[in-house]
Amino acid sequence: MSDVFGEDPEVILAERRYNAIAKIMESAVRKKESKWTFTDMLDHVFLHKALGIPIFLALLWAVFQFTFAFSEPFMVMVEMFFGWLGGFAADGIANPQLASFVADGICGGLGSVLVFVPPIFMLFLALAILEDSGYLSRAAFVMDRVMYKLGLHGRSFIPMISGFGCNIPAIMATRSIENEKDRMITILVNPLISCGARLPVYVLIGGALFGAAAGSAVFAMYVLGIALAILMALIFRKTLFKGKPAPFVLELPRYMMPKAKTALLHMWERGKQFLKRAGTIIFVVVILLWFLSVYPWAATNGGEIIENSYVAGLGKAIQPIFAPFGWDWTTTVAIIFGFLAKEVVVATYGLLLGVGEESVGDALVSMGLFTPLTGFAFMAFVLIYVPCVATIGAIWRETNSWKWPVFTMVYLTVLAFIVSGLIIGIGRLLGFT
Amino acid sequence: MTDFEIGKGKTIGLYAAVLGVVYLAIGVIEVFGGAGDAIPGDLFGGFALVVIAATFLNGVKRSFDGEHIGLSFIIGGLFLAAVFGILYLLLMGADGLMFLLGEAEEFSVVADFRPAIWLFLLVLPLAYLARELTKEVTW
Repeated sequence: MSDVFGEDPEVILAERRYNAIAKIMESAVRKKESKWTFTDMLDHVFLHKALGIPIFLALLWAVFQFTFAFSEPFMVMVEMFFGWLGGFAADGIANPQLASFVADGICGGLGSVLVFVPPIFMLFLALAILEDSGYLSRAAFVMDRVMYKLGLHGRSFIPMISGFGCNIPAIMATRSIENEKDRMITILVNPLISCGARLPVYVLIGGALFGAAAGSAVFAMYVLGIALAILMALIFRKTLFKGKPAPFVLELPRYMMPKAKTALLHMWERGKQFLKRAGTIIFVVVILLWFLSVYPWAATNGGEIIENSYVAGLGKAIQPIFAPFGWDWTTTVAIIFGFLAKEVVVATYGLLLGVGEESVGDALVSMGLFTPLTGFAFMAFVLIYVPCVATIGAIWRETNSWKWPVFTMVYLTVLAFIVSGLIIGIGRLLGFT
Repeated sequence: MTDFEIGKGKTIGLYAAVLGVVYLAIGVIEVFGGAGDAIPGDLFGGFALVVIAATFLNGVKRSFDGEHIGLSFIIGGLFLAAVFGILYLLLMGADGLMFLLGEAEEFSVVADFRPAIWLFLLVLPLAYLARELTKEVTW
């Protein structure tokens, strides 16, 4: 077909299919006469060569500003609730070990993760509105222009956008990419897209260190992730998976006014995954972390002197690796356990900082664990370094080999050190501490 | 042949041009650090206003010529202006809630009444004019 028609068979088939549909529609559907539709009109704007990408970036920023700033009071309410519950448990339970488990482990650890339910649900609500309105597929179309020029496959951007929710279904969605090389590239770069589990880390560090610019700091992480994914895809295309990307045919739905019920349902479907994780893997890891942070019981004086705990020993042993970044042993522990699930990074701080009246974010600042520069580098590190264990499992299943999950972990860890090092180095050159 | 009456196109184009220039000026001021309490510095917020300005200004000439593409850009600008106006209104509400929860020392409606909000109010008459021209248009 390619030889006869001089074009890709997929493109020809799509064109013929739509011509056939148009003919049937002409004879079967009677439409109200109008010279143009709102969909045509809006596509002139949102798919515009020069304006398309700036509009996409502006809307993406709006999503994260909404996610962060609008959810703040709701986070405060959840935080107040767990603070009250922790105090109630600590006062009401006679056995000190059980009281520590309930107050510090469950309320402090798990509670510090559940505080991020509002921003996660807000993010999914905003993404659902964009998706239901028909805009999200336009974003993929707009990005396809850039990606194709760089020698990448435009369809790769759709799993990338799905990666905002969770990397696992996004990696599974690459099955729709027929070309094996395009598919492999998309799988390997997908963990660079910030999933919902990383959002609590960004919101915690961003909120604590960047004040009114916190939403922009979170937005910067999402843009950094997309930029790195495109850069790495380009490197893989030039090295491991040489060749030309297959053409991209995408059906654009018409624009629609999003319905509140549908958007809320989509939000719930995605958001409940976070609640499930909080009740399963995060809960188990929090119990493990609590145990390691209060034992040996006598040496830590019932969890009072955390410096003497098992987890402190582990953190201090590995901390020299991260010393050039200015991160202490608590951050080292957060990074190690974050491999199990990224939300655990937040839970680790909730447990190790042993906060009472003040929030985890305030404690991070008052204890001087981060400056804005080292905090930003840490956010970038969490974005890039090894994805969670479930994502590694998904890569293994989809590639049917252990080679690619191991490769992903190695290249992402190296990249995380390079990018965080560059942030710290350039920041110091610019006069930041 | 024009897609709509030239006179209406000129009115709507002129309004969009004025709005575009105002959005551009305020956006640039926000990007470069702001000017007092009325226009606070906001890098990405300013960038968004510049994008809205570019969208409006892109549609001016073709609106004057009575082409529907001109109207398309003006409607696109209206959508974006609405998104950012409503966004800042929500953020104002969130700030108020933070004050009620005792997490903020003060809540000033004046300080929270960001340019994206009052510009959105200025855009509403244009939305009405655009609606008049697109009554027959379907989705």
